[in-house]
Amino acid sequence: MNKIIALSVVTSGLLIAGGYKIPEQSLNSMALGSAYVAHTTDADTAYFNPANMSFLDNSLNYLESGITLAHLPSNTFKGVQYLPGIGGVATSSKSETENLPIPYFHYVAPAMGKWRFGLSMTAPGGLTKRWKSPVQKTFAEEFTLENIELNPVLSYKINEKFSVGGGIRLVYSMGKVYSDGNDLGVPFKREMEGDTIEFGYNLALAWKPTSDIAVGITYRSKIDLDEEGEANLYLGNVGQQYDATVSVPLPAALNIGVSKTWNDTLTVEFVYERTFWSAYKTLNFDYDSAIQPGLVSSFDDPKLKDWVDTNTFKFGVTYEMNEKLTLMGGYAYDETPVPTKTLSYELADSDAHVFSGGFKYKQNEQLNWGVAVLYDLKESHTLELGENENGIVGKFTDGGALLITLGISYKF
Amino acid sequence: MSKIRALILAVSVLLFVGCGSLDKPTNEKVVGGEVVVDLDGNSIKTSLIAAGTPGIDENSTVYGYKAYKIPYTTTDEEGNSVAVSGLMVVPLGLPEVVYSTLGLSLVSDSHGTIFPNAEAPTEVAGTTNSPDGSSILLTSLGGFVTLQADYIGFGDSHGHYHPFILKKSLANATVDFISAARDFASHNEINLNGQLFLTGYSEGGYTALATLEKIEAETSLDVTMAAPMAGPYDVNRTAFGVLSQDTISVPSFMADIAYAYALAYDEDVLMVVNEPYASKLEGLFDGFHTRVEIDAELTTQTTGEEGLFSQSFVYDFFTNSNNWFREAVGENNVHTWGPQTTVKLIHCEGDDVIPFGISQIAEATMNAYGAADVSIVPVETVLGIPEPVGHVACGAMAYSIATNIFAQTRAATIGY
Repeated sequence: MNKIIALSVVTSGLLIAGGYKIPEQSLNSMALGSAYVAHTTDADTAYFNPANMSFLDNSLNYLESGITLAHLPSNTFKGVQYLPGIGGVATSSKSETENLPIPYFHYVAPAMGKWRFGLSMTAPGGLTKRWKSPVQKTFAEEFTLENIELNPVLSYKINEKFSVGGGIRLVYSMGKVYSDGNDLGVPFKREMEGDTIEFGYNLALAWKPTSDIAVGITYRSKIDLDEEGEANLYLGNVGQQYDATVSVPLPAALNIGVSKTWNDTLTVEFVYERTFWSAYKTLNFDYDSAIQPGLVSSFDDPKLKDWVDTNTFKFGVTYEMNEKLTLMGGYAYDETPVPTKTLSYELADSDAHVFSGGFKYKQNEQLNWGVAVLYDLKESHTLELGENENGIVGKFTDGGALLITLGISYKF
Repeated sequence: MSKIRALILAVSVLLFVGCGSLDKPTNEKVVGGEVVVDLDGNSIKTSLIAAGTPGIDENSTVYGYKAYKIPYTTTDEEGNSVAVSGLMVVPLGLPEVVYSTLGLSLVSDSHGTIFPNAEAPTEVAGTTNSPDGSSILLTSLGGFVTLQADYIGFGDSHGHYHPFILKKSLANATVDFISAARDFASHNEINLNGQLFLTGYSEGGYTALATLEKIEAETSLDVTMAAPMAGPYDVNRTAFGVLSQDTISVPSFMADIAYAYALAYDEDVLMVVNEPYASKLEGLFDGFHTRVEIDAELTTQTTGEEGLFSQSFVYDFFTNSNNWFREAVGENNVHTWGPQTTVKLIHCEGDDVIPFGISQIAEATMNAYGAADVSIVPVETVLGIPEPVGHVACGAMAYSIATNIFAQTRAATIGY
């Protein structure tokens, strides 16, 4: 247990994009709202478009590290929860506020002929949602999914205008699912923790048709996070432990970005992202033996998710004010993959507007540092009677996220 | 490149810090047993309402309960000591004066015929944590502490053959469990008031009467009242009845009697049961097969070359008064004595498995032996049901009557 807690402090995941994917993994990407695929210029190129590593200075090592401090305000729900055998229970509740540090690291090695190596360590997806109110904790006292990705990549420079890249995704994932209905008179309680190491891949393409236009396409494969661990299931005050598994997908994502630079100072980039969330059909817990019959419908029967593929439209601007200071800003519109029909308290997601900005300061020829801020504004989400299969009728408001990234990069 | 390797190593160490194991559930610790169910009254009431239980609504008083699995030792037919188990179900939510001053009354509820070990009381409670049918009536609605011995052959003694309708070891397992439960209560501050009721349905009804006979004959235990329900008290007559029929509707019951009696009386089951059935019995009664599975492996034809029982054995049973089985079933009758405790023989007049006449014979026989107060409680008449009720459907009705009779007695004597 202590190990789990130690790891959580370092890598707690959060929700800042639709679903539980976290696109922003560096100073530049945070400041640009992840409109950062075609025109990538620092060590984070290894992650955002490894093909572009071919167009960095061939002789240099690029390093970047930083930390994102995430503040996740409460979700608010006002409405009624319908429960079998109990009926409608009026509830006005807030989820817990979360404050999380998320580190990242990127590295690009000097070129070796036409090849170039890079490495990233990121937290590409995650979710932490905790409720203490009786109704909500019956379903999601805590629902946490934490991922760390180690992503070694290679690029191959085909010519001065065209490069390809790709890599292996090594994802360590840890999940926690806690729920407790006793405060509501439902004598069911669940504690589950599990983890897994999974593999995937990513591909990238960079094309610079002219000196001021860049095109980037990246694809990150779907990874099924097959969490394996233990589950304690309680009926009343008596619990039993089972070996348990549950699988959730880290979805595939396709990014297509185009950038245009004017006078080597102003760059505008547009990115379209398609995230293939439709892979998330059900949430299905499996146990090594039959569980107590009274708990089957709550903890064993598959829960329908039926998420849908999403579109995200990102727009970023980079302006080099002078030799020392670079300003960045971005906006994105991010669709939620969660249909009203299957929305639940562990992820009461909705469409979002993402605003971001930041700066980067060149301390000297080798060292840069900067600060970026991102604000994720979630739209409210109203569920009418009969719309939601989980018995939720009411309105979710607030939520979203405020993130501040402190980054430092070094070239040598 | 050495810097890169160092970096990968450092990151890998961070990555592969694995999860520890989730601590096992921290269930309540008790002396001499373990808690296997702990449910409050509202939870049970909610589930009863959701299940559409007749007579239960938001205004009903439903007590919660804790169920404890208690290991203890008893003696089998052969006189050997056997480690067995039983379930003690204690009501929660009664007025505090009951726990502090008045004390709780015990009901020893002997379970009916089961074949798979998974149906034993402690196994059901331990694996499902779900309210058991008779415990709901006796404990959650009646407010009694309910005792359910697994019997020899089930629970902790799974692997030992079950002494089906063999009164000595069934009574041993029940009486020893009553003593073990009282010890458990004293060690765990469960305040009992000394009242003891006996009941049980079908095989449990037989066991309840066998238990009363043993208690009155051999112990100083004081039984407040016994209410055996639909038991084959006259085993001799039951055997004659079954073996004189051309077919047996449920062959597993009689086959199990033959199997258990052959083992207990050290007789060769091959002389009783025809092949290929005789060789199957040990496997069929291993505690892993259901009644339906067992019946499917047997025949409903009573005797003859293709029948379940050997024709020569059946002929000898009917014609030879010294036939070992005839003597054995006579020894295992539980109605040929005169109880000094009040006995209510609860039975449905429409019982299609254990005929109502068995209770009438038991009543008459026990009265003839000088019983103090034995009477029959006909279920349909008491409940005002115009149609006869069969053996299976009768169970819940009979339990509700027993619960009411016990509750009235407790109210008249203890005050709640």
